[in-house]
Amino acid sequence: MQCKDIENVLESEGLGTLSAEAREHLAECSSCQGLLADFHSIVAVAQTLPAEIEPPARVWVSLRAQLEAEGLIKEPVEAPEPAPWWESLRLLFQPRALATATAGLLLVAGTLYFTHRPLNTTPVVNTQPAVQPSPPQQASVSAPQPAVPAASAPATVTEVAHTPAAKSHGTKGLASSPTENLSAPLAPAEGSSPDMQLAGDASVDASFRQNLRTLNQFIAECQRRLKQNPQDDLAREYLNMAYQQKADLLAAMMENGRSEH
Amino acid sequence: MCASTAIPGTTLGAIRRIRSSSGAATGQLARQRPAPPVAWTEAEAIRLAQAGNAAAFEFLYQLHSRRVYALCLRMVGNPADAEDLMQEAFLQLYRKIGTFRGESAFSTWLHRMTVNVVLMRLRKKSLPTDSLEETIEPDAESSAPKRDVGAPDLRLSGAVDRVNLERSIEKLPPGYRTVFVLHDVQGYEHNEIADIMGCSVGNSKSQLHKARTRLRELLQEEVREQAREERKAAKTQSGSLD
Repeated sequence: MQCKDIENVLESEGLGTLSAEAREHLAECSSCQGLLADFHSIVAVAQTLPAEIEPPARVWVSLRAQLEAEGLIKEPVEAPEPAPWWESLRLLFQPRALATATAGLLLVAGTLYFTHRPLNTTPVVNTQPAVQPSPPQQASVSAPQPAVPAASAPATVTEVAHTPAAKSHGTKGLASSPTENLSAPLAPAEGSSPDMQLAGDASVDASFRQNLRTLNQFIAECQRRLKQNPQDDLAREYLNMAYQQKADLLAAMMENGRSEH
Repeated sequence: MCASTAIPGTTLGAIRRIRSSSGAATGQLARQRPAPPVAWTEAEAIRLAQAGNAAAFEFLYQLHSRRVYALCLRMVGNPADAEDLMQEAFLQLYRKIGTFRGESAFSTWLHRMTVNVVLMRLRKKSLPTDSLEETIEPDAESSAPKRDVGAPDLRLSGAVDRVNLERSIEKLPPGYRTVFVLHDVQGYEHNEIADIMGCSVGNSKSQLHKARTRLRELLQEEVREQAREERKAAKTQSGSLD
């Protein structure tokens, strides 16, 4: 076999297994050995080159526009935009709105029950808060202050709930105050809620507590959003609404004969 | 040139390659934009694209674009031209997708269009070196690089790296370059390349051998040039020391 024949073998058979004849020639010919070794080097490096390269995203955008312009896309399907976060909040809010409405209905039912009940059957209710109401109510509602531990915070809602006028004022205040201040006035009332005694039906009580838990989860979510983006007005608005509902719910719970212990 | 025929092995090989690469593509794309439905098979996506379904067009694009872009980029060596050529290839594909009957693998069909688009563009540029006919036609052996048998060989072992290989690939005539990239870089078999380029398997083998031989020459030139530069630099340095 000659060097020229080796070339022909490499051309037709590639770099795979060579015949015994070809191997015999290679063993004696340094030139053909060099050729084969170089081919192996070239192929080895070529196989390390990337066979796939990510094209820029603009190519598809441009191609798609062209496909639409030519009418090749017959059913334009917009790539679904990622849902804005407030959509998930809205979804989250719906069951809470239902729960709040339920709480409202229960409040009305409870009010009717208590107003039509004979006075001597009214249970003795300890309306005094478990903590000393030392700071003024107004300050606790409107003044900026960090969240206050339940044991030392003013019992704003508890106090407000005793007088309709004050309650109304308190609720309005909650709705319009900066959200950062709202958790503090509600904390003591909420803190006492697990100790409230059942005055009416057990299922009603459970429903109140469930609503409170749901509202708290929602408030926590709004607060997290606001912490991430303090300029998020929608989150602020939802948080205001949630606090208002929480205040109403706590007031409803107390007005319906649940006392602190 | 030969007529394109359906080769079962070709189809399986192409699908295997696509499947193995599509996983990574999906992961990367999922971070950029909503991923198309992954439950589709290529055949389903083709059927939907034939009905004008936008998501199916995108699915097929995502499945093949990385390989097609790599081919275009190696063929023209310029990202802007490669993007343009890839878009043109996909556009042609989608214009004709209604006529696709599955006689050959979809990827083979797409690559054939891509190669045609690229070679047409290069033809229009009328390269001053080898003509395309010389490098694609089977009787182009007269233009093939010849080994100077008996001349002292410069061994490339250890001297070939990705940079000088890429540079040398760019210097190859387009026909050689296409076959070399398809076979040695992208891993296609000769029967697939024959189907893509519309030639015989023997012609594909011949083109590849010539491409490798030419690359060897180009790389040897590079290595010699590099050695000359080093000698010159060393001489200059010793002269300045004296």
